[in-house]
Amino acid sequence: MLRSTYSFGASVVGPLHQREQRPNEDAWLRSAGSYGSLVVVCDGMGSRPEARRGAKAACLAAREAVSRWSRVQGAPLSYLAHLVELLWRLRIYPVDPGDAATTCLLALACPDGAWVLGGVGDGLAIAKTGSNLTIVVGQRGEDFGNETLGLGVSKGSGSWKLVTLPASVEDRVAVLATDGIADDLVPEKINDFCDWLVVDFQNLKPADRWRQLMMELKDWPTPNHLDDKTLAVLRTTATSQGPSS
Amino acid sequence: MGFAKYQEDIVSRWVADNRSKAAPRRHQRQAPIAATAATSNAVNSGQAEATHQKEKPVSKLKEFTMSSARPLPVIVLADISGSMGTEGKIDALNDAVAEMVSTFSEEEDNSAEIHVSVLTFGKGGAALHKPLQPAHKTTWEPMSAAGRTPMGEAFALAQQMIEDKSIISSRAYRPTLVLVSDGVPTDDWQGPLQNLLASERASKAARFAMGIGAEADNKTLAAFLASDESRVFEAHEAREIRKFFRWVTMSVTARSRSAAPNSVVAIEPVDLDELEF
Repeated sequence: MLRSTYSFGASVVGPLHQREQRPNEDAWLRSAGSYGSLVVVCDGMGSRPEARRGAKAACLAAREAVSRWSRVQGAPLSYLAHLVELLWRLRIYPVDPGDAATTCLLALACPDGAWVLGGVGDGLAIAKTGSNLTIVVGQRGEDFGNETLGLGVSKGSGSWKLVTLPASVEDRVAVLATDGIADDLVPEKINDFCDWLVVDFQNLKPADRWRQLMMELKDWPTPNHLDDKTLAVLRTTATSQGPSS
Repeated sequence: MGFAKYQEDIVSRWVADNRSKAAPRRHQRQAPIAATAATSNAVNSGQAEATHQKEKPVSKLKEFTMSSARPLPVIVLADISGSMGTEGKIDALNDAVAEMVSTFSEEEDNSAEIHVSVLTFGKGGAALHKPLQPAHKTTWEPMSAAGRTPMGEAFALAQQMIEDKSIISSRAYRPTLVLVSDGVPTDDWQGPLQNLLASERASKAARFAMGIGAEADNKTLAAFLASDESRVFEAHEAREIRKFFRWVTMSVTARSRSAAPNSVVAIEPVDLDELEF
């Protein structure tokens, strides 16, 4: 079946970092290769001195890990988590991992049609297959706002939430977002939020799509929000109706 | 280089920037390199905003997002046993809590929206005197003193409230618990306190405690704080109740204004008369 995959995303500096003249401590990455199509979203933990570096290194480590992991058919998902953590530590060395702690969320559309979704830390990692919504990361459990695990602060791959979604003939979309977005979403509206990202953005040209998303994130409507905001979308359609970038 | 493009994520841009710094081109006709991807994104989108301002559509995001700032809950556990009715203690407590709520309600445009609840323990056991809601929506109703001191029930009620995510959502910042008592607990308080301190959610609360008068059981209050760094505030007369609540108010408002409202701001309870709000 002819399938079309596209991804897009954007990241904006939050009001707090603007006020303090600090850079964006979120990072995101979109990539494609023999492993399929990949998007990664990372949120460097605000109180850490090397948070920005940690987030960027995590995106690159995730891409490298996915590339290596996907070469071994049937390799466990836990190996992918281990790889990301190790490669991330190598990339930031000699910085103390605790000083560069970051969340790391990824969505991978494999060439065989299966998807891998999830990560470590807070934020949002969801997929919608047809009308079926899967939330892998998005419920805080016993934490309060701005408390999270992540690379550099969690204890091994056990802190990761990763799932494989089997190949499907239906359209599928994954949305990754940092907590600056996820914590302000009304839980009952996550499904609608996902639909909005598909319907309102699918027919835009890539440049307009990015511009529009930047504008939406800059005009974030929740009062007194502080955090940097990063969002990435990965979508596969069963026909060529979606954009091809 | 220069400006971020829609094809680029901010990581590949960062890598490209670093490569460029390592091996700078001799002939660079483009605009000066922006210091960071974030800055360049901001610049680029700023231009985009200018060109598209006229045709800016109404965003649907409001339909999916919260319409209020993240809550910072404050829960007061107030002893309203019969002994609080003597020496003007209950009146002083009512005035102090009312002043605290009023101050919180005037806090606007902060990182967090302060929510207040008051649990009482006295005649009839522990009760919800004021449910948790934004301070600016709270209308204070004075408490009256009667009965014994069922502090253990109050611990259990506070734990129940903190663990209920429909009352304190995961979006909220860590709550603050404020315990005020002038006597010795008359129920089994140790079990409920252990449960509170062992609860994954409730144990994360910042805790303040005040003992009023010579009869206050400061050991119990210190057990509630469960920290070597915190100390029980001792109010020897009614007017010191107000001082204590001004200290609590100062600490909470400092958190709500701070960049990291989950961190407890250390404000020493000294020179409390000089605190300004």
